[in-house]
Amino acid sequence: MITAGIDMGAKNLKVVILRDGQVIASSLIRVGFDTQEALDEGLQHALAEVGLSKGDIQRVVATGAGRNSVPGADDAVTEVRADSAGITHISPTIRTVIDVGAEEGRAVRCNAQGKVVDFAINEKCAAGAGAFTEAMARALEVPLEELGALSLKSQQTVPMNAQCAVFAESEVVSLIHARTSKEDIARAVHDAIASRITSMARRVGVEKDVALVGGVARNKGFVDSLRRDLDMDILVPPDPEFVGALGAALIAAQGA
Amino acid sequence: MAETTDVMRWQTKPLECWRLAKEIREQYYRNYAQAREKGGLRWVGGAWSFGAIPCGLGDDVYGLTSEPYGATIAFNKDLALECQEAAEKYGFARDLCSYMRNYWGSVLLNKYAWGGPFPKPDFVWQDHICCSHAKWYQVVSELEGGIPYFCIDVAVGPYHERTDSRVEYMVGQMHDGIQWLEKITGRRYDDEKLIEAVKNEIRCTSLWAEICTLNKAVPAPLDEKSMYSLYVHLVLNRYTPEVVSFYQTLRDEVKDRVANQIAACPTERCRLMTDTQPPWAFLKIFRYMESYGAVSIGSLYTYGLMGIYDDQPDGSWGAKVTPMERGVAIKTRDQALRAYAEWTLAKPLWQHFYNPALKSRMMARLAREWQVNGVLLHYNRGCEGLSIGIAENRLALLKEGFPVMPFEGNMGDEREFDDTRVMSRIDTFMETLGLRKLY
Amino acid sequence: MSPFQKFQEWHQNRHQYAQEWKARTGGKVLGYFCTYVPEEILYAADVLPVRILGSHEPEDVTEPHIFAMFCPFCRDCLAQGLKGRFDYLDGIMISQSCLHIRQAFWSWQLHIPTSFSYYLPMPHHVQSPRAQDYLRGELAQFKGAVEGWTGRTLTDADLDRGMEIMNTNRRLMKQVYELRKAPNPPLVGADAMEMVLSSQMTDKREHNQELAALLEKLPQQKRDGDPPVRLMIIGSEDDDVAFIKMAESLGAVFVSDDHCTGTRYFWNEALPQEDRLMAIAQRYLDRTPCPTKDWPERRRFQQILRLAKEYGVQGALLIQQKFCDPHESDIPQLARLLKENGIPSYFLEFDMTVPLGPFRTRVEAFLETLREEDLF
Repeated sequence: MITAGIDMGAKNLKVVILRDGQVIASSLIRVGFDTQEALDEGLQHALAEVGLSKGDIQRVVATGAGRNSVPGADDAVTEVRADSAGITHISPTIRTVIDVGAEEGRAVRCNAQGKVVDFAINEKCAAGAGAFTEAMARALEVPLEELGALSLKSQQTVPMNAQCAVFAESEVVSLIHARTSKEDIARAVHDAIASRITSMARRVGVEKDVALVGGVARNKGFVDSLRRDLDMDILVPPDPEFVGALGAALIAAQGA
Repeated sequence: MAETTDVMRWQTKPLECWRLAKEIREQYYRNYAQAREKGGLRWVGGAWSFGAIPCGLGDDVYGLTSEPYGATIAFNKDLALECQEAAEKYGFARDLCSYMRNYWGSVLLNKYAWGGPFPKPDFVWQDHICCSHAKWYQVVSELEGGIPYFCIDVAVGPYHERTDSRVEYMVGQMHDGIQWLEKITGRRYDDEKLIEAVKNEIRCTSLWAEICTLNKAVPAPLDEKSMYSLYVHLVLNRYTPEVVSFYQTLRDEVKDRVANQIAACPTERCRLMTDTQPPWAFLKIFRYMESYGAVSIGSLYTYGLMGIYDDQPDGSWGAKVTPMERGVAIKTRDQALRAYAEWTLAKPLWQHFYNPALKSRMMARLAREWQVNGVLLHYNRGCEGLSIGIAENRLALLKEGFPVMPFEGNMGDEREFDDTRVMSRIDTFMETLGLRKLY
Repeated sequence: MSPFQKFQEWHQNRHQYAQEWKARTGGKVLGYFCTYVPEEILYAADVLPVRILGSHEPEDVTEPHIFAMFCPFCRDCLAQGLKGRFDYLDGIMISQSCLHIRQAFWSWQLHIPTSFSYYLPMPHHVQSPRAQDYLRGELAQFKGAVEGWTGRTLTDADLDRGMEIMNTNRRLMKQVYELRKAPNPPLVGADAMEMVLSSQMTDKREHNQELAALLEKLPQQKRDGDPPVRLMIIGSEDDDVAFIKMAESLGAVFVSDDHCTGTRYFWNEALPQEDRLMAIAQRYLDRTPCPTKDWPERRRFQQILRLAKEYGVQGALLIQQKFCDPHESDIPQLARLLKENGIPSYFLEFDMTVPLGPFRTRVEAFLETLREEDLF
């Protein structure tokens, strides 16, 4: 049986295609203004990889912030459930999954069956989310992809005093004027977000094993800060941004 | 049609006393506005202030309580924004109590929520347990050009730890307050009117507890969204005979609904409770949850803001026996004030000011006895008084085994409520409770 | 060597001090959360009261316990407990004041067990004549609890000793503050702040000795250069020495304050009377109030104006812990009152840590406007 999971995120659309529970294709497309276009493109892209067409998919489950605007989906599940289903499939010993995306951070505690026990989602302030790292990368004039590697070279811890994103940006400017190295500023940025995410995760109680998923999990600097902050090992799956879509595709297979 | 029948598990019908409730409320706001036309007096103060006491000044003395007034403004989005911006322009911080900012804004703009200019009060009669209470009216008194202001401190510790000295402190301030009322109004104080008003208030708050206790029934005869419109008289004019009679009528009707299994929400298959004031501009969340078959049967807030409870002989929670029923003599001013202070100190929503564990215990009890499946906690940025300790309440409820969903919002300032994200969070919570959308 | 070095050391090594005190005396240490706590009774029982304050570091341990809209100060305090930095405490207590700080007390009580914890329902209506008897009753009950905890009965002589220790400390610190009236004061705001903070962290008998020594040396200290711009700092709890130092590096000096880590803490004494507990009660009812207890009249404003005039204040910084409701309901009216009295003010909102860079710009700009006023 062929199923698809579609994760319509705030910034990117992720598609995972399964055949009999095994991943056969995936794709990631930036969501612009026209979500329908992104959806068609993403699906086409993934299907083309394995020479399939839309009609071959037996069930589609959507997730993500835009899950209710995915036409043709057989069902929609929340990111919380999708993350939990996806991660326990990848590693059954995971009890806490932390998902940091562009606009939202969340922490989910699940049991051995992948069932959600408790969850927390960051509130309005986006300081805990990926959008913040992007803004900071801009302020430092480094490509976002390099911010992580840069911070790993940091020689010293510089505290980030601003507690909100707007002040943080002007504080980075102050740090630049104070001739703090880019490396140290990058680490300060990651430490600040990690602290925010840890705070939120502690709300649900951080039970081992812990996994980090979502786009920001690709940022090695952030992962390093989070490991230090939580003081425990964190699993980052190979394609961290696809875990939600994978979960949705698995739920699609179960529901058929 | 077959599917609809399946979705609608229970029969339902509108409340018969709904219109009466609406009329009493409208009359209250009109009375306040028109008091002067008949030579009467106007006072303002909080919903928890000892409103029965000014009744001793005569039958033509009308109050306007501030929290329901702030909520009324919140319900009117355009006016709310205008009021909040007026308060901010004056220099007040955005994170202050949102009822207070709505109220201040209404005074600053000189706009009454029910039309016309803000009717200037003759005096302020307030009480204080939350930091904002006394400060609220200190500012109002100043904004109104220095109108007389009296405030009673009731923050004397939890009910079960009350001592003679603590009660005496409250009663003493009440006595001082009566002398002050006589002085500023030049009127003679009538103790008979006080005694009647105190008894009425005790009757009303006991009746409300009885009504809320009836909601233990499955299906629930009342849903929380409707209760918001029904409890309001308790925070407006609970010391009047009309309101006593209204709650008697309501109690009888709810009893009847229980006997005949008339549900508030025909889809009821999951019972929830909430906490703190709701985001008034977004009451649609309650209707949204009903599409999952989830009904909020109430909260410690709707039940215990005014209702007075006690352990019943069978160990359950129910209406507290009134001092009149117990045969306590209430014949003098001092006896009336003492009975009033003692009764009010038992208010469930006054207990968490001293320890969140007291509230957690009441919430868990409510959840068990009212057969609740999950809890929504409104982390209300608009009210520090009712959201203190809420994070500890959450931990305690989780420990008791209840699923809990916190959501941030603001009762009176819609700028702090993220509609889409809260709805999405509700979807997630419903999913974890194993519920699917019914329609 | 700065004559304030001892105070600085105490302030920086508060935990070490308390642990050594405990080892040295075998006595009990009690952490308190608000300056309405009647320390006289604790000194009478030979218990060391130390104030629980934050550490101004970002923290991520309080989120499960305190909703984010409450002030960073209460979260910072709780974080210290959760991180185990006050593990030496034998007891904790709070005297009822604002809603924010009592949450730190509760969560501490729930999650960090100590052998003694006490909530003293301090009256809010301190201006009511009824508050005296009530508070006296509460102090009697508290005294009983302390007696039960320490296993000793407190006599009038004990209470007299407690009052004497506290009053001496208050009197001496007030004398040091007097010196700030000079055109170029021999101490800066950071010195004064660390002096008062250390008094909340150490045995006041030792602190008093150090104060007496300071008063010997200080009047001889001369500061060179142009007289700096004279500022007053007013607002909620403030132990942010880093901020004070930053502001004073810009050509300003703080000459007075209205903080519970400053004048509000120590300005008035307990006046002796036969009924000792009544004397103590009266002292806390008459002190410069926290805004949450300052009603129906605004008595704090009058004290602020008095200080501003006596200390020749040119401008005021109004600071407030983020989300501090009691101060937020005072600040607009206070700023108006100061303006009417010819004192410009500038408002800053403090968080657990303040971004010094952006704040420097603000303070500099404010000082520029004050200097311009001087010119014309």
